Amino acid sequence: MLRLKLALLNVLRNGRRSFITLLAIQFGVISLILMGGFFTSMYEGMRENVIRSQLGHIQIYQAGFNQFGSQQPEDYLIDAETLHKVTKLVESLEQVELVTPRLNFTGLLTDGNRSLAVVVEGINPDKESLLSSAVKLTAGEDLFEEDTDGALIGDGLFKSLNLSIGASLTLMATTADGSFDARDVTAIGAISTGTREVDNRFMRMNLQHAQALMYTEGVTRLVVLLNDTKQTDEVMALLSQAFKKQGLALELRSWSDLADYYHEVVNLFDGIFFVVQIIVLAIVLLGIVNTMVMAVMERTQEIGTIRAIGGTRSEVMGLFISEAFILGLIGSLLGVIFAILLAQGITAAGIMMPTPPGSSQTYPIRIFTEADLLWQNGLFGLLIAVVSSIYPAVKASRMVITKALRFA
Amino acid sequence: MTVVKLQGVSRYFPVGNTPITALDKVDLTLEKGEFVVLRGASGSGKSTLLNLIGAMDDPNEGEVFIHGMALSSLSDKQKSQLRSHYIGFIFQSFNLIPVLTALENVQYPLSLQRVANKEGKYRAAQALEQVGLADFIHRRPNQLSGGQMQRVAIARALVTKPDIILADEPTANLDSETSKQIMDLLGSLNRNTGVTFLFATHHDFVLSRASRILELKDGHIVKDEPVQHLNLVNQIALGEEVG
Repeated sequence: MLRLKLALLNVLRNGRRSFITLLAIQFGVISLILMGGFFTSMYEGMRENVIRSQLGHIQIYQAGFNQFGSQQPEDYLIDAETLHKVTKLVESLEQVELVTPRLNFTGLLTDGNRSLAVVVEGINPDKESLLSSAVKLTAGEDLFEEDTDGALIGDGLFKSLNLSIGASLTLMATTADGSFDARDVTAIGAISTGTREVDNRFMRMNLQHAQALMYTEGVTRLVVLLNDTKQTDEVMALLSQAFKKQGLALELRSWSDLADYYHEVVNLFDGIFFVVQIIVLAIVLLGIVNTMVMAVMERTQEIGTIRAIGGTRSEVMGLFISEAFILGLIGSLLGVIFAILLAQGITAAGIMMPTPPGSSQTYPIRIFTEADLLWQNGLFGLLIAVVSSIYPAVKASRMVITKALRFA
Repeated sequence: MTVVKLQGVSRYFPVGNTPITALDKVDLTLEKGEFVVLRGASGSGKSTLLNLIGAMDDPNEGEVFIHGMALSSLSDKQKSQLRSHYIGFIFQSFNLIPVLTALENVQYPLSLQRVANKEGKYRAAQALEQVGLADFIHRRPNQLSGGQMQRVAIARALVTKPDIILADEPTANLDSETSKQIMDLLGSLNRNTGVTFLFATHHDFVLSRASRILELKDGHIVKDEPVQHLNLVNQIALGEEVG
């Protein structure tokens, strides 16, 4: 009790120095929480964008599609009967928000002067408008079921063909039976998925129109949107079990399996975060070491006295480490509190970030302050403080008593 | 009962390439309850002798025994425990911890012994009462006079009930009146508690309170005489009335 009180009083003894040390700890904790919170919000934004613009949470394919489908996609389509059965099954799950079919193929889009290779997606417009909420309409109008020959053109593609709304185009593609066919389509709108590479060669049209062009009633995939991304694994397991039970030769892929770019970005930013952590650690560590070394120097005679009246080396070490612990605890708690306030302030300010590489949309800075991020970085601050005190504490404990007593 | 025994103790300090002898083959025995004054000029080896007996320094030759325990056989931790339980220190500049009150300063050695807080406070208050500071227990060192600070330091040395108290020039920073009061206090504590006192001092008025006087010169004990023999001489030397 008294020993702890002594540590606390020693922290208060040189108020200005302790204040500066507390600022160093707070700086570390606040920087890490704000940066971590910003990255978390960015990851979430990117993840939800990729889920709600392209991938959905789960995709269902004919068995073998992911291994062989790229060579012969027409051989791995889900037929109409299976489509109906699976849609009913998936829709019966309470975690599912919606399920929608897509027919994907590549084709050649021409305006009569120029032709460009495109990736076409036949969709159910009503359902897709819910699933693809992150797909932004940049010009024209959205696609509806009654727009039989309407098409939404990726805005990079829209610009490169120098199109205007209502422009008549011809889409050519190889049909499911291997012949070649073409359909007229009308550019009713331009869209942005948020990924520039996709927007440069992507278009969407009504599923029935796409099926008519491909001479098929099948679809490439069923895209499932869940109420919450966290339910993905659970629903994957449920569906996998149900398909097995009903003898359906289907395979599943989660958004995580399909979002390679997302994982690459996350890995890159995690690496950056690690480097920043090291830099912050070095700054805070040096700050505290400096404070503690000065405290040891100033209190040399006192250390000698404590040792002379029976204090062991570990007692002296414990005293300095306790002081660092108190500084770390107060600094970390204040750091966490200020970080929450700053995060809320920055998020509320709605500051817009410039368009990130590979993306076509700007986004506001949001900083998430999740419990895990707060306690982990708070603990990080506390640990840095304690670790920083070890060297000065050892130095203090190893002083020669007689020399320390003579120190003035 | 022998509390301290030194056998052929020598201590050298290197100054440049030449070792300077602070103590040279010193033999000494201190018995329980003695009030021993250690005299000598500056650099005669007084502080070195106190440091060696206080287990704060190691001799280059010879052996120091406290209660029959050879200090050379003890680890640093064991020496700390020995200081904590058997030895009390009184320093020239008091060496109180400035952020603690008088009570807490006195309680601190007990907390090092893991004595419970409540008991520690009680014993510290008793020790402060013993030195006449019952009304000053909540004052910090900077709110006390030099004499009061030295009384707190004495209470701190006494509170663990040590067998020997080592005092290095305890009155050097005090005026003569306060010094005499402090010496009277220590004398009475010696008589009442039976604790052995070893004082390094160059104040002559201390001699009249001593039961034994040791004189050090160039690292040697050149005089070791009981006070009965010296009393008359001292009183004459101090100009006191011989009765």
